[in-house]
Amino acid sequence: MSDNLCEERRLVVVKEEVQGGEKMEEHRTVNFMRLLSDESTHSTLSEDSCEYYQTEIFDQLPSIQACRPGQCTQGFLEVCEAKQDNTEPGEKLRNRHLSRGSRDKEPMQPLRNLALCIQAKRSARIQRKMQISNIGFWESWRRSQSINRRRVWEQMGGALSGILPWQHMLHAIEGRFGVGVKAYFVFLRYLIYLNLLHCALVWGFILGPTVFHGRSNGSEPLRFGGNDSILDFFLGKGYVDRSPVFYGFYTRGSLNLSCLNTPLLYLTGILTILFLSLIMVVRRTTVGFKHRWMLGKRYSMNVSYKIFCGWDFTILDPAAATLKHSFIRNDLKLFLEEQSFSLREAQRTLGQKVRLYLLRLILNVLVLSLLGGAFYLIFYATETSLYESGHHWLVSLFLQYLAPITIAFVNLLLPHVFRKISSFEDYSFTMQVNTTLVRSIFLKLASLGIYLFFLFKTTKERQQRHCRENQFGREVYKLCIFNFLATFCTAFLLNYPRKLVQEKYPTSLLSRLSGKQHFLIPFNVLDLVYSQTVSWVGIYYCPLLPLIGTVTLVATFYIKKFTVLRCCVAEDRMFRASTSSVLFHFMLLLGLIMAATTVGVDLYQQDATLNRMCSCGPFGNGETVFNVAGVCVNSLPRLARSTLSYLASEAFALPLILAEIIILTSYVSRGRANQKAIERLKDMLVMSSSDKRFLVKQHTTLLRRRRDKCRARAEAVGEDSVVSG
Amino acid sequence: MGNKQTIFTDEQLDAYQDCTFFTRKEILRLHARYHELAPHLVPMDYTNDPECKLPLALIVNMPELNENPFRSRIVESFSEDGMGNLSFNEFVDMFSVLSEMAPRELKAIYAFKIYDFNVDNYLCKEDLEKTLNKLTKEELTPEEVELVCEKTIEEADLDGDHKLSFADFENMISRAPDFLSTFHIRI
Repeated sequence: MSDNLCEERRLVVVKEEVQGGEKMEEHRTVNFMRLLSDESTHSTLSEDSCEYYQTEIFDQLPSIQACRPGQCTQGFLEVCEAKQDNTEPGEKLRNRHLSRGSRDKEPMQPLRNLALCIQAKRSARIQRKMQISNIGFWESWRRSQSINRRRVWEQMGGALSGILPWQHMLHAIEGRFGVGVKAYFVFLRYLIYLNLLHCALVWGFILGPTVFHGRSNGSEPLRFGGNDSILDFFLGKGYVDRSPVFYGFYTRGSLNLSCLNTPLLYLTGILTILFLSLIMVVRRTTVGFKHRWMLGKRYSMNVSYKIFCGWDFTILDPAAATLKHSFIRNDLKLFLEEQSFSLREAQRTLGQKVRLYLLRLILNVLVLSLLGGAFYLIFYATETSLYESGHHWLVSLFLQYLAPITIAFVNLLLPHVFRKISSFEDYSFTMQVNTTLVRSIFLKLASLGIYLFFLFKTTKERQQRHCRENQFGREVYKLCIFNFLATFCTAFLLNYPRKLVQEKYPTSLLSRLSGKQHFLIPFNVLDLVYSQTVSWVGIYYCPLLPLIGTVTLVATFYIKKFTVLRCCVAEDRMFRASTSSVLFHFMLLLGLIMAATTVGVDLYQQDATLNRMCSCGPFGNGETVFNVAGVCVNSLPRLARSTLSYLASEAFALPLILAEIIILTSYVSRGRANQKAIERLKDMLVMSSSDKRFLVKQHTTLLRRRRDKCRARAEAVGEDSVVSG
Repeated sequence: MGNKQTIFTDEQLDAYQDCTFFTRKEILRLHARYHELAPHLVPMDYTNDPECKLPLALIVNMPELNENPFRSRIVESFSEDGMGNLSFNEFVDMFSVLSEMAPRELKAIYAFKIYDFNVDNYLCKEDLEKTLNKLTKEELTPEEVELVCEKTIEEADLDGDHKLSFADFENMISRAPDFLSTFHIRI
């Protein structure tokens, strides 16, 4: 009992830094007396919270000792040394850290990573140096090498991040408009890198061999002559038709080995590009998606992240700080709004629900009819532009571009209509954005798909004079060019004048109708994804499309930067990227699938048109993919040939599919077992924590009772002695 | 190596290099920044470890900290006396932990200290309310503040005591995707 008292006093001294020890204890006794009258043997979670953390035994709990970060006071050393006067100097050094709970646990962990103040770190450093003199040469050399390596790595990392282009610009944009807009520009930069990679692959597989080994003897040299004009660059005919831009340029030249020839290289190049893009898109999708899916809704930490990671400590500018404050506030308000929305949703009566669903049905029918109308327009425009001939050159230009113009017009107008429609459907804000996005994605992909389908049909029917693949490539080329023109014109003919009207005549009807301009992130990202899809679809017919894509994307970067910085105002509502980014990646994947399908269909079609008189490109002159590949495979050694034929047969495909199914099942079941284990552990933690609280409270209660009895007895004895003495 | 500086001994600079994430040049630059906060108080010669502390008011006016709503708490949690008076060692320590090279675990420890306004080693509801008010400049209504704090505790509290201990906090922050990128100060 006396030991306990001594220990308690010691702890009090250490914690409170030597104040009137007796007074402190009495003061605390008084508190506990008051609380004791309410004692119960059940541990309630809320009542005992204040006394739990003031109990003496609490500080001795190992869990509390372990997580107290090192706080050093000046008088620390003396206090601790006074207590451990029966230990040796070496132990003293170690125990100093021990009693404060922070140990130099891992000598290999760098000093800077320890959560101690610099004094303590310095002493730890001295201690380690003493150890080093015992360690020997090899170990100290290894340690210094690892330190140097780390420094070099850090410097390289710093240099690399400085090289990334447009870093300053992005920083400025983030300061003024927030993280969402910056994410758009980061995505744009990523697409530029992707296109540059495609360009490199095209050069390596397609353009390079043709440049070095030449084309077939029958092909015309590339000269700007005769009927060529500047219009060719817009129409894709004439000079451009004969240039490396299109499929028809790449014929089988002097590179004529059985396995290394132009057609095979061309095909390999395109397939590599598509495959690499698939890997990069899938990787990008899973990286962001993994954490959320694994944890499930119960463990989503959205609000905690907003509060604890919400403030960006690097903000120096007062304007940026104000913006950040309003972002955080609006984000939290959005969260609260969604909470109250889900509350409202749960409280809907049956009548309200029926009316709402009816309204939603009508609006969806409206959306479908709008989509149907758009598709018909596109079909009509495709027909007109393909069958036009013999007009004035300006009219001809316009009619040739009619299909891209219609598609661009439809893609520009309808998403905003969808946005307006979804505001009537009574969804939460995130759900509204996602519904609009799903509809817009469907619109864009389906319009592209329908356009390609009609192109396919009509070019097959008409039995072109010219190369069919070039015709296809020409349409995609026109689509790309026009998309860029549309971006350019929207920025300079729509956004900038609107901003001027807002500035000069703020009270006029026009400016009141149009309202302030915001940078609508979802629609802009959708545009980027759509242009990348078009690029992928057309790459087989127009190998230089990535180059055109890179140039247009760089130009788009500067145009959008101009739009954002000069014409737009920061939006109040923050765009929640999480579910929407999944949708964007899904659209990218769908675009890739569409590209692969068109290439596959075209390759398959080659068989049927074996006797065309107009064959062009690498697979002309009666060659198909299967022919060329067959020639290559036959030239391989016997072992490789038999392996390849085995891999292509059913005997390999079936076990492969079976193995994949088994592996997937095992992963899914493991994931489910892990989730169950997480649930069980969480329950266990709650239980043992309340056990701990109960036991601590019991212990304190018993201790107090004993001490009071002791004191009461001592007082009684003292009174007796006073009375008797 | 021909360093003409007389502020620190070589031994001291080596110690700083090992104990913080800064190089020699950066330590000297930090000393220059520390000195310009109060040129009359801060000695130019630190070779014999002078006892010099700058008050909270001077440090929170530094441009790096000026716009931060938690500036007082940051300085307080790195000061020995808990009142925000920083010696040079503590000054360097503060910027070292907040630099980009500090690991996540170290930052989590100090982030917990910063958000713990009543210094009881737990993030209780009052701490969260104060944090929230500082973040939003008190523009949320009390009911909204209450709701958000309750939701936070509900999300992050693992052991069911309606407070966030350090283990809860660390568990939550270890999965935060942008903790490292927001919780650093460049100097």
